[in-house]
Amino acid sequence: MSINEKTHWREKELSYDQVIDKYPDIPPILALKIDVSRRGIAYTDAAFAKVDSNKHHVEPFNYMIGHGKQISPIGLFLRDGSVICQGHQEVYDWTYRDPYILDVVDDKLVIVDNDRIFEEAKFWEKPDFYDKYTSNGTPMREIASARPQRLTIAPATKCHFWDVPKEGCKYCALFSAHRSANDEGDIRDDKWFSDVTETVEEALKQKGRYASFHMTAGSTLSGKEIFDDEVDLYIKTLKAAERVIDAKKFPVKLVASAFSKKQLQRMYEETAITTYTTDLEVLNKNLFGWVCPGKNRLVGYDEWKHRLYDAVEIFGRGNVDCGIVGGVETAQPNGFEDEQEALNNVLTEAEEIASHGVSFADCVWNTLPGAIFMKQKTPSLEYYVQLALGLAEVRRKNGLYIYTDDYRRCGNHPNTDLARID
Amino acid sequence: MVKINDELKQILDEPDTLKVLAVNNREGVPHVVFKGTLHAEDNQFVFYDLLQSSEINKNLVNTIWFEKKLAINILSKDRRSFHIVGTPVKSVTAGKYFESVYENIQERFGRDTDLNAIWYIEPEQIQEVSFAYRQAEQREKFPILAHLDQITRRDDDDE
Ligand code: SF4
Repeated sequence: MSINEKTHWREKELSYDQVIDKYPDIPPILALKIDVSRRGIAYTDAAFAKVDSNKHHVEPFNYMIGHGKQISPIGLFLRDGSVICQGHQEVYDWTYRDPYILDVVDDKLVIVDNDRIFEEAKFWEKPDFYDKYTSNGTPMREIASARPQRLTIAPATKCHFWDVPKEGCKYCALFSAHRSANDEGDIRDDKWFSDVTETVEEALKQKGRYASFHMTAGSTLSGKEIFDDEVDLYIKTLKAAERVIDAKKFPVKLVASAFSKKQLQRMYEETAITTYTTDLEVLNKNLFGWVCPGKNRLVGYDEWKHRLYDAVEIFGRGNVDCGIVGGVETAQPNGFEDEQEALNNVLTEAEEIASHGVSFADCVWNTLPGAIFMKQKTPSLEYYVQLALGLAEVRRKNGLYIYTDDYRRCGNHPNTDLARID
Repeated sequence: MVKINDELKQILDEPDTLKVLAVNNREGVPHVVFKGTLHAEDNQFVFYDLLQSSEINKNLVNTIWFEKKLAINILSKDRRSFHIVGTPVKSVTAGKYFESVYENIQERFGRDTDLNAIWYIEPEQIQEVSFAYRQAEQREKFPILAHLDQITRRDDDDE
């Protein structure tokens, strides 16, 4: 029995074509990207046969989650120069919607749904540094990862919000291999920092590849003040990178915990950082408490917001970004049951926050194994399309740029893809 | 699909040829720019956009997203002009081929020059619009389209 025969999801929501007709401002190719991000994409054997691990960027399946069992490319290029940040998705017995299919037709990789070919796609290419080793003998692919134009380093592979059971964010599957209380994640000693310097140096030999240096990690709560140790870790990592980057200010995209003004000032003064992102995840105070209990208990919604505003004072309007997991406000039983109500709520709050100079980066909520919410039902395509259009309008109205998290420097946010035509 | 002939390809490759691209923005206002790197590859027009924040880049993204058309004009050193209507079909923003063009751009224009995207345009219409060519064509097809003083008898007509 197909998934649709089981859940009849296709009869319960507007189809892709109906959404395109109803919202003429959404580019059809972007609506497809949103829908693929929402439903996932499963590779056929023919698509897997096209993978050349010498040429394409492959990782163990669910590599950010940390329990890989299968090798898969991690993303696709589309013909408008945008990307889909997703590899092969398994179908589970609780999967609510059929994923799209990545297949091969006329020797070309194509995105298919219900036997209809939507777009041609290409696998991301492997970074040149991936097969190299540092002088310590560390494989460089263990030090950094990449998207087509972004180099990523994750200084901490443990998120300490999970130290108290179930206090991590409920949609989150990141670093789920390191959730037990006695697991400290990967070790970051002097050897690791020298590996960072060598890996960054090697990566940047690939001219024209990287437009952004991205750092993100699980939250580290320790220190004299909460997050002090996290700040130290980022500063040390940036300093290791700065040994080989000859620029006063280089395009760092830091996605981190909500640092205090003192901590932000320190980061600004001691490193080359120019922008800062910290994620409220869900733009509703009550739902924040339910979806992100650790963040709520230790910082709180209002304080998280104020830290964003403090950051604007340091980095300037448009250089502070807030990530949200678009759609998670409809998670049940506590979220909005009515999509229109959810949308109005999110966009009203977004408008208020953006008026303080903060931009948004909207991730499409997808239910992943390893997340508490893995068996939830995500909203309709229509919802995600309205959210992307609404957030793009909020940014435009407030005169904010989002280059730090755009289609090139990140690629995972429908609302920032829309900034390509502003 | 119309064909880009060898003569036009050759004109495109000549350094003195002027190449102009006209693309509407999302409000429908035309924006016109000279694009020195415009050339032909196989049967597509290709050019390199160097600035991500450029007006032309935004307009091209809008054009590829909503399947709109753009216009190109090519003016050769000897004043032959070609009008082209086309659609952008692909924008390459990363990958090995992008990197090879990036290096080439840096060699040509200096280390501080960036590459934003390689744009591919499929022609739907190619038409010579040089003045002499169009004038002869109009005379031939629509003789009515001229001021009458041009057909008054002149002293030298009988010579
Ligand atoms: S802060 Fe939340 S979203 Fe980020 S890694 Fe920790 S649990 Fe996941």
